[in-house]
Amino acid sequence: MTDTDGTVGTVVFGPHLLYRILAWEDHPQPFRKSLKSAARVSRDVALAVYLGKRALFLGITLVVATYMVVVIANQGGLIDRILIAEIRISTAQELGNQQWYQRLDASEKQRVYNETVQQRIHNRGLDQPFLSKSFRQTWEALTLDFGQAQGTYGTGSFKLTTIIMERLPRTVILFTTATALSAVIGVWLGLRMARRALSVFDRSLTVLSITTLVIPSWVLGIFFILMFSVGLRLFPTGGMVSAPAPREPFALLGDQLWHLLLPLITVTFANFGAWSYTTRNLVLQIMAEDFVNAARSKGLPEKIVLRRYVLRAASPPIMTGIILALVASWTGAIITEIVFNWPGLGLLFFEAVTNTDAPTIIALTIIFAYLFVVTVLLLDFAYGLLDPRIRALGR
Amino acid sequence: MLFVVVAAAALVPFVAPYDVASVWGDVSRWTDLPRNAPPDWIDAFSEQKFARTIIVDWNEFKGGASNTTEDFKIIVTRARWKFEYDTFPPDMRVYFRANWSSFKPLITITWERPDGEKITMFSGFPTRQAPLMDTFDVPADTVEGARAGLEGRLREWAAGFNATDVAVVHPHVTLYAETGPDMLSPARASVLHGPYALTVEALAFDANDTLEARFVSYGGVYGLAGTDSLRRDLLVGLLWGAPVALAFGAVAAVLTVMAQVILGALGAYYGGRFDEVIQRATDFVIIIPVLPILILIGFLYRPDLVRILLIIVAFNVVGGTTKVIRSIALQVKEESYIEAARAYGASRARILFRYIIPRTMPYTFALMSLSVPAFIFLEASLSFLGVGDPVLPTWGSIMGDASRGGAIYNGLWWWVALPASGIVFITVAFAFLGYAFDKVLNPRLREE
Repeated sequence: MTDTDGTVGTVVFGPHLLYRILAWEDHPQPFRKSLKSAARVSRDVALAVYLGKRALFLGITLVVATYMVVVIANQGGLIDRILIAEIRISTAQELGNQQWYQRLDASEKQRVYNETVQQRIHNRGLDQPFLSKSFRQTWEALTLDFGQAQGTYGTGSFKLTTIIMERLPRTVILFTTATALSAVIGVWLGLRMARRALSVFDRSLTVLSITTLVIPSWVLGIFFILMFSVGLRLFPTGGMVSAPAPREPFALLGDQLWHLLLPLITVTFANFGAWSYTTRNLVLQIMAEDFVNAARSKGLPEKIVLRRYVLRAASPPIMTGIILALVASWTGAIITEIVFNWPGLGLLFFEAVTNTDAPTIIALTIIFAYLFVVTVLLLDFAYGLLDPRIRALGR
Repeated sequence: MLFVVVAAAALVPFVAPYDVASVWGDVSRWTDLPRNAPPDWIDAFSEQKFARTIIVDWNEFKGGASNTTEDFKIIVTRARWKFEYDTFPPDMRVYFRANWSSFKPLITITWERPDGEKITMFSGFPTRQAPLMDTFDVPADTVEGARAGLEGRLREWAAGFNATDVAVVHPHVTLYAETGPDMLSPARASVLHGPYALTVEALAFDANDTLEARFVSYGGVYGLAGTDSLRRDLLVGLLWGAPVALAFGAVAAVLTVMAQVILGALGAYYGGRFDEVIQRATDFVIIIPVLPILILIGFLYRPDLVRILLIIVAFNVVGGTTKVIRSIALQVKEESYIEAARAYGASRARILFRYIIPRTMPYTFALMSLSVPAFIFLEASLSFLGVGDPVLPTWGSIMGDASRGGAIYNGLWWWVALPASGIVFITVAFAFLGYAFDKVLNPRLREE
């Protein structure tokens, strides 16, 4: 019995823990499972039912997670009380500076002051009870109606959509490229390792893979910056452009590429190990399967056995892993961006947290959650198409 | 590798200060250490011998009162030390503690060099009465106007040796430099080796007046791990980082994996609604962005290490392991020996805990040792961002301090590289342990 949901873990952990999921999961056994049960129901209906159930669940997950973040980010209403106190102080100061206000007598002053404070609290929507406000914020977040941030974060705009849309491509360009690179390099190395299992090449790469697999890219990044940027002065120590930035478009592009290179190398290096180790083990496992032995005993040359039997069985989980990792790479990595001072979503999140900018924090967490959910849904869809057992589940 | 780590961690409480959290946060504990000093073993990679810290303590200043008359007395106290290093100290500090009854005594600090030259470093009145003390810092002193005075005197004195004039005088260099044209330049001056002395003198106006002094010549290097910008000995933080990381990772891993194993097995055994709830909870936990939420909680509520641990465990009560164990337990459940147990009337709890969960134990151990690094790095990430434990030094928080202090860009490599190496060492040890389990469990990975 295989539980395809297990693969969901990939999304959160990235390729880091992919090996675990792939290693536990029964790899597809194309010739064994009978399709009888699946054939009984119409395929498409079953798939639709299955996907519908998943989508419903993911929707609920998203709502609950959003609400949780809204409550945490507002500290259960504490932020509101702080804002109200701020309004009181600033109102008292402003009114105190007005001449007409100074001329009023004490009770009049009190009345005007109270009215102004109430008006301002109302204008900022702080007079609603926290519960209804939190529901409203959750709804706004879910409909991607993010409103205003409390800072501009270098974009010249308070609109959260503008800020996020400026940061998202930077994260994508770094992490998606790095994921693709590390997957390609890792899978290629993994195949070679499996072919030459237990050779010196295999053993040393296995040790290297395991080492890079546990070390997160931000720790690796610190070492790399020390070595290549500070020690050898090959790369800039961080950021995305030099200051001042070059004027010419080509020079600017080159400068940005130069800044991109070290984080790219770091993230790629930190992630390839998961791919190579997983691929190696997967291929080795399949090579010990009966159907591979059968092919060998038929007298087929080893090359054909590898290509037709082993690779064909190994490719679906690897492809799924790659697609998933590519999708999941949208979310980037918060701390790696901080270490490299790379102005993507992760750095934005940290800036927002240090500024206690609740709207931005909520918006970003929702974006992260949405990206996860979309990824999981894509995964379910892919599995629904690929794996007949899922369709059987849909009944 | 792991044994080394565990043994080292077990020793730490005996070799490092026990109340590390309070010691680490207390800046006054670290005033005798140099600022931003690299570890002292860098000597081995250099032809030079780097300056070490020299402390002449209160009781090592020798001297006494002389010329006592009815109106005044002169108290002289002198420190002697040998300077045999090849680099200049980054700074120096003289403490003096004077007690007077009617008039403030006149304090004079004189620098005496091996070549017989004498320079007056300071001449003035104390601002505080004993037991409070005054400090005179070279090059940046706290006694107003004294710095300009010393620099002027040094310039004048150096001019007598035809020294090339420079824009800014570096007293800590010139005081230790060989006389000659280069004596004002920190880049070209060379160290004059030999016995030095520092005289602190007080012209006091009362018979009961006292004077004590203390001298610190800070080193260019310090200890096994260097110091940070608050002069703290990083070795203390690094040593304490080991048991903290180890305990955090191990406790978190054991708690979460055990919880996940039990819930996974329960789900598989009972099935139905119960299983469904656990499965959906697992999916939920896997999908929500945990790190952003943890950062948020850490920033807003400032939990201490134990609370962080509890929060992390709470977020991981169900998770990937639940799924793995569930699928194993589903297979085990159908086996005949379980049926036999059921037939002789074993209780459900007995079957679950004596027959099903033990079968999953090998996987459990592998998963545990593989998740230790994950939790260690999770804690390090939070500390690195400054949202970890507010007082306790951990490897992550040392790296975070370093990063915020610009250590990476200013070449203070020891401040980041050493904690990072520690964390890498400890996690890689656990990872290899985990993969060793993995190999034992999956004989196919070994091949013949």
